[in-house]
Amino acid sequence: MELWLPLAAAVPLVAGALTPAIARRHPGLARPWALAVAAWVLAAAVQLTRRVVLEGPFSYPLGGWARPYGIELRFDEFSAVAVVIAMVAGLVLVYSGPYMRLALRATRLPWYYSLLLINLGGLVGFVTTGDLFNLFVFMEIVSVSSYALVAVAGGRIAPLAAFKYLMAGAVSSALILFCIGVLHALTGTLNMADIAARLATAEAPAPILLALAGLTAGLLVKSALFPMHAWLPDAHASAPSPVSAMLSALVVKVGVFGLLRVYPMFAAVDVVRLAPMYEILAWLGALSIVAGALLALFQQDIKLMLAYSTISNIGYIVLGIGLANELGMTGAGIHIANHAIIKATLFLAAGAIIHQTGRRTLHALRGVGHVMPWTCLALAVGVFSIVGLPPTVGFPGKWYLALGALEAGRPGFAVVLLAGAVLIFVYYIRILNAFYFRSPSEVGMLSVREAPVAMLLPVLVLAALCLAGGLLGRWPAMLIGPAIARLPGGG
Amino acid sequence: MDVIDLRILLAPAISFGCAVLIFLLGARARWRRVLALGAAVTKFIVILSLLPGSLAGKVYVFEVLEFLPGVGISFRADALGMFFALVSSTLWVLTTVYAIGYMKGRHARVRFFGFFALCVSTTVGIAFAENLLTLFLFYEMLTICTYPLVVHDETPEALRAGRKYLAYTLLGGAALLLGMILVQSLAGTLSFSHAGVLPAEAGSGALLATFVTLIGGFGVKAAIMPLHGWLPAAMVAPTPVSALLHAVAVVKAGVFGILRVVHNIFGVDLLAQLGYASWLAWVAAFTIVAASLIALAQDNLKRRLAYSTISQLSYIVLGAALLTPFAALAAVVHIANQAFAKITMFFVAGAIERSTGKTQVHQLAGIGRTMPWTMAAFTIAALSFIGVPLFAGFVTKWYLSLGALQAGAWWFVLLMILSALLNAAYWLPIVYLAWFRTPAAESAPIHEAEALLLVPTLVAAAYVLLLGISMQVSWLPFSLAQAAVRFVAGL
Repeated sequence: MELWLPLAAAVPLVAGALTPAIARRHPGLARPWALAVAAWVLAAAVQLTRRVVLEGPFSYPLGGWARPYGIELRFDEFSAVAVVIAMVAGLVLVYSGPYMRLALRATRLPWYYSLLLINLGGLVGFVTTGDLFNLFVFMEIVSVSSYALVAVAGGRIAPLAAFKYLMAGAVSSALILFCIGVLHALTGTLNMADIAARLATAEAPAPILLALAGLTAGLLVKSALFPMHAWLPDAHASAPSPVSAMLSALVVKVGVFGLLRVYPMFAAVDVVRLAPMYEILAWLGALSIVAGALLALFQQDIKLMLAYSTISNIGYIVLGIGLANELGMTGAGIHIANHAIIKATLFLAAGAIIHQTGRRTLHALRGVGHVMPWTCLALAVGVFSIVGLPPTVGFPGKWYLALGALEAGRPGFAVVLLAGAVLIFVYYIRILNAFYFRSPSEVGMLSVREAPVAMLLPVLVLAALCLAGGLLGRWPAMLIGPAIARLPGGG
Repeated sequence: MDVIDLRILLAPAISFGCAVLIFLLGARARWRRVLALGAAVTKFIVILSLLPGSLAGKVYVFEVLEFLPGVGISFRADALGMFFALVSSTLWVLTTVYAIGYMKGRHARVRFFGFFALCVSTTVGIAFAENLLTLFLFYEMLTICTYPLVVHDETPEALRAGRKYLAYTLLGGAALLLGMILVQSLAGTLSFSHAGVLPAEAGSGALLATFVTLIGGFGVKAAIMPLHGWLPAAMVAPTPVSALLHAVAVVKAGVFGILRVVHNIFGVDLLAQLGYASWLAWVAAFTIVAASLIALAQDNLKRRLAYSTISQLSYIVLGAALLTPFAALAAVVHIANQAFAKITMFFVAGAIERSTGKTQVHQLAGIGRTMPWTMAAFTIAALSFIGVPLFAGFVTKWYLSLGALQAGAWWFVLLMILSALLNAAYWLPIVYLAWFRTPAAESAPIHEAEALLLVPTLVAAAYVLLLGISMQVSWLPFSLAQAAVRFVAGL
């Protein structure tokens, strides 16, 4: 069916906008409604992925207007990440039931679900569009809904964190919009494939270089690559845990995914070479891996630890893109999806623990492994995944990245990669130590009970995905193979 | 001849299933005992049932899944793997019986026996690994599964030892991962099915980096000096765990990995050509002497045992590094010889500690009169380490000396003699103290350790004698070792 593609993004956006109206009389309706929509998006994403596997990339001209006049929606192998997006969002919705009932007033619940659905629609739209301006619009939908989601539960830190996030996001958005304007002025089109074709014959290096650098910088701010990360830790740690999971697993990926989308536009340009840009990306990625891991080491708050490790993991992805060979970019591509699964597991598990105990520092949470065995088991699986031990889902990405570093003749990057993994292990071992091997520092810990089923189930499903995704790690790599080959440097 | 057989998958699966059931059973002690023993015996029988085929030259294989292109989890029971699996599963039966007796009345027994079973599961996985990735996977799992056992007492000292253990082994693991990635990018395969996969024309820099990272990675668990620091620290663990660490699983995983690297990754011919092995031989020689000297100065019995282990392990490393068939034979058989003798000693140390509370060597005056059977077992093990003929240790020294002469390195024969003298210098005083000195207090009546501790000790000691006397009996592990060496030497 041709309409799956436009509807995949449109349905959650419209349904999200309608949620407050639908749930006006009965706030309890909001969650089932949102769940149904997420399930539908998942079905659509699976359908679309099936088609891309069978037929290769395909397009849908919006309103019947073919490019370059109309907006082109395009589903290629990278877009298959929509499956992961829908899955994580769906599990977050399931999880939100018991969690948000405590965190929010009942009358605000519909607004929360509305924002989550809009966020989901924005993400799906972002990965399925072939139009540069459209890409920007979806990015803004994702960003604006994210700012609101951070602040949704109120509290002391969250509104400030949301404001900081908003400032960083707004500046980077303005930069990206400006660069899109430059590209439009140069080529007269906004379709990414067309821009690529027309830039090939462009002769002025300065504006192209400006656009390339500006887009890169703007997108890297969205991804919180060190040293552009300052907005992330507070925003991700102070948001309600299901929101943290969405932000850390999916929303930060907008930046790195955007890089994979905009770089092909500059592939055929004669007057500007991409190689120096890739070199900068590789170094920034390596820096981010180490810096994120080191910063995480000094945290006591488990959600802050998780937030800093996101910075480290974004470093892996950017390093992989910067290596500019097939293996490195494959590693980056699959780590985008794999890290989403891992980080969602970790944030939801940590959220369940915080929800049940009311505590969030390592010291106060000592001994929680004995009273919440299943949640902590899932958390442990997530920990081993984020370190990248085989056969978990964290391993394939690191494997490809390290092979890519060797192929690029840069064994130093392979060493940095592994050093990052060891550092990560050091700080996550502290979590496991506190949870399992330290006697409780507070008496109240003994009366804590395991999380309710609606929270436990998504966490366990995600933990199972952490294992399954590693064991079946070659499928995603094979899936995105053709898309990698089309990237500049990836062939 | 390769035969597909599910039994080699069954062997690790039995222990794994046992561990899961132990966790699910919770506090039901009687069922836990039945389960632990039942699984140990079943697994022993399964591995034993593979022995006739293995002796007849069959190689059992089972490919589980290929989770990245070209690399996957797959099992292969060749002669060397069978040898290691047989030794570890025999010892698991003994250690389980012993642990049931030793851990009576202690805390967190569910965790203890669960992780204990997991350790043995991963050890068999290491033994049957078909490629470096599968080996690495189980090797890292072993690190993680032994950690809860090392910190079992949850005292600050235990946690400190646990941290040290993790720091050493995780850095080793990272080095190993790097080496594995180097092998994959140089050779394009990680398989152990060949007598060497690395191409000689790969360039000496890359080959040296591979050798250093792989040997360094495995060398941590093999406790080659100066990578041995974790081993004495880990003595804080309960005695069955020390026995497991020192005799069955952890250190043997290290030396087994070194054997695999020397024999199956590099291959004897390539290493002889490159000359790296002679450096390794000198490092091993240094470790043998230095660790013995340190052992002389230890008054704590378990610490003396730990340094003796470090010294004995380097026999295996030396045997592998000499690159001659006789030396390789010595290396393989010493896996069993050291294991049985060392586990006897640990059982004795634990039995003495449990029934008299004594942990220091100088307290042992006259202990032979109160615990005659226990100390008889200790004496047998001590004589084996010294290398008295008709004891297991002699076989190692004999073949290692022959191998050294084959390699034209007569000075290592002198090293054997020196090491025998040093072993005599730190074991015979204990034997003398135990039998020929009167106890400080009034003479106690015979007070042996309980049967659950005594019987495994005696069986292990009997095995030391058996290995020394009847090497030529075809169903003993020695013939497997010969088969392993024939493969390595290309005979």
